Amino acid sequence: MSDEYDFLFKIVLTGDSGVGKSNILGRFTRNEFNMESKSTIGVEFATRTVTVDDKIIKAQIWDTAGQERYRAITSAYYRGAVGAMLMYDISKPETYENVNRWLSELHEHAVPQIVIMLVGNKCDLKHLRAVATEEAQAFAEENKLLFIETSALDNTNVELAFQRILTEIYHQHVEQNLLHAEFGQIKAPEGPTINFTEPAKKNSGGCC
Amino acid sequence: MPSKYHDMVELDSNEYIFGEEGGRGTPASVFFKKIANMSQKSSKKSKPKPEPSESQQITVGAGRSHAEHISAISDAQNVKKKGKKKQTSSERKQEHKSSSGHAHHLANMAEHNDSSPYFDLDDDWDTNFESTIIPKANARSISSSNTALSKPEPSEIAAKAERDELNSLVSRILKFQTALSAPTVDIDQLRNLSWSGVPPDLRPRTWMHLLGYLPSTAERREKTLAKKRLEYFNSIEQEFGNEGSMNQSMWHQIAIDVPRTNPHIKLYSFESTRRSLERILYLWSVRHPASGYVQGINDLLTPFFQTFLTQYVGTKKVEDLDPQQLTKEELDFVEADSYWCLSKLLDGIQDNYIHAQPGIHRQVQKLEKLMTKVNSELIAHFKSENVEFMQFSFRWMNCLLMREVPMTCAIRIWDTYLSEGPQKFSDFHVYVCAAFLQNWAKDLVNMEFQDLIIFLQSPPTQDWTEKDIELILSQAFMYQSVFKDSMKQ
Repeated sequence: MSDEYDFLFKIVLTGDSGVGKSNILGRFTRNEFNMESKSTIGVEFATRTVTVDDKIIKAQIWDTAGQERYRAITSAYYRGAVGAMLMYDISKPETYENVNRWLSELHEHAVPQIVIMLVGNKCDLKHLRAVATEEAQAFAEENKLLFIETSALDNTNVELAFQRILTEIYHQHVEQNLLHAEFGQIKAPEGPTINFTEPAKKNSGGCC
Repeated sequence: MPSKYHDMVELDSNEYIFGEEGGRGTPASVFFKKIANMSQKSSKKSKPKPEPSESQQITVGAGRSHAEHISAISDAQNVKKKGKKKQTSSERKQEHKSSSGHAHHLANMAEHNDSSPYFDLDDDWDTNFESTIIPKANARSISSSNTALSKPEPSEIAAKAERDELNSLVSRILKFQTALSAPTVDIDQLRNLSWSGVPPDLRPRTWMHLLGYLPSTAERREKTLAKKRLEYFNSIEQEFGNEGSMNQSMWHQIAIDVPRTNPHIKLYSFESTRRSLERILYLWSVRHPASGYVQGINDLLTPFFQTFLTQYVGTKKVEDLDPQQLTKEELDFVEADSYWCLSKLLDGIQDNYIHAQPGIHRQVQKLEKLMTKVNSELIAHFKSENVEFMQFSFRWMNCLLMREVPMTCAIRIWDTYLSEGPQKFSDFHVYVCAAFLQNWAKDLVNMEFQDLIIFLQSPPTQDWTEKDIELILSQAFMYQSVFKDSMKQ
């Protein structure tokens, strides 16, 4: 059942502890949400298959622990990833301030053409909002990141977020002929670094 | 060689090797009172109350506590005396559900053999062990082969087996009781006893001894405890007295992790539990700056906290307890004792939590090496599927399998680890992880990468009882005996 797919994309979830990485993954892969789920130790894994342009894409998602101490092990998972969701909590400004640090982690360990999506989670907490949508959106554009706000709790934009990052990865790689369909996988390209074009996104990433 | 080693070898093929029956019990005083009543052939009826809610609490289904078994026996006796043939209440069903069904056989036994002594309190555990398992195996083969035998009747054999098993349980508890009440506790003896599991009611004190927190000589105990507890209270005052001087990032991490600690157990949802855990974790972390607080240490605290609470509420109720029902002093003691015992435990495995976590990396490598010896076919399969040990066993090391097995099983594992000294939390643990992995090997060899990883992330252990974990422990012991030397190279 799960073995039929055209392409396999590895995605990592990163960001500070407690921003909701495991819950967005649970929502996307199992439609589950736990208000008090256990903290992630090291790296945890889940998959889901979606369709993009009539192609079946299997997303293999690695959910990483947010705590600093786990950086050594979690960064090892960046290497094989073609996409990353860098998450923060819209009600916790410090988790947004740390986005820069996560970004440099990714740039240091991941392949240069990795597609990164900035995800402002917990957008159901309207009354506690501490990070403006516009600000995050501007930051994302400046850094060539996709951007969206989500709520794993009330299931806002979760599906859309994954759909969008997977579509973007697919398109980028089709354009650049990086797909090795015979293996059903994307391989890290050899040779010169391929620059990413600005992600095409006109619609606002805000959800609320 | 200590006698337990002998047990272990036998045990591998027989689940009764560990003997310990139940995960939960009643206070020791009640238990011993019941024994006393029995030996006096008291005619007083001590009927165990059927508590419907209780059967739900026994989530692991490991069986009833020793006291309940015994009261079931005395029940059976009483029933007989009153000329009633049947034990009808719901507890009978409950006993049936338990893996050994002691009461049923004991009731039969009472009917068949009135003069038979029910307890030989001087019985030796090791001797008993032999007599316990052999008749039992016979009984099984007889019933399964449907062979008609006139003498002895299968029910009698089974009854004898059950009786012997129960005897050995009682004898075991008495040995613990004797060891703990000695003026100077013989730690080696306590270690030998504890390898096969500690009776729940005696676990708090046994653990404190095994960790070296409680002095072995009786006269020093009270003074030392008082001193350590005071030291803890003073430290808390010192660290929390001035909020401005607190390590905010450490505190923040602890504060977001405590509500995520054992969310499936009610005890951890209460505010007073959470405040205690926060204080313990924060104090430990600021006092150990080389590692500081690392996620997963919160998990390791909980077996201590929960076990030490049982001193005041009994083992059955602890998982639903709001600790505020304890007096402040009692809760303070639990907190202080948990802190010190956690410290002792972590002293032995600090490498797991310092920068880059070298202890965990070492253990993961060791596990992989060990598994190539245990099951090379599985390793070849992992290789062909690109499964790396780090992907699934990191958490096994980081949280000592606490995320993979139910709490009662984790606590039972700790009995064995503690009996070998705190460093065994890293050493013997690798063998336990190997036995744990090997346990699923037949399924794993047929799985592809993603199914493998997902399976190993949440192996189906929800219904595991202490018996399941004891099989893993005995298997681990066997691996250790066989591979220890070659693992050193």
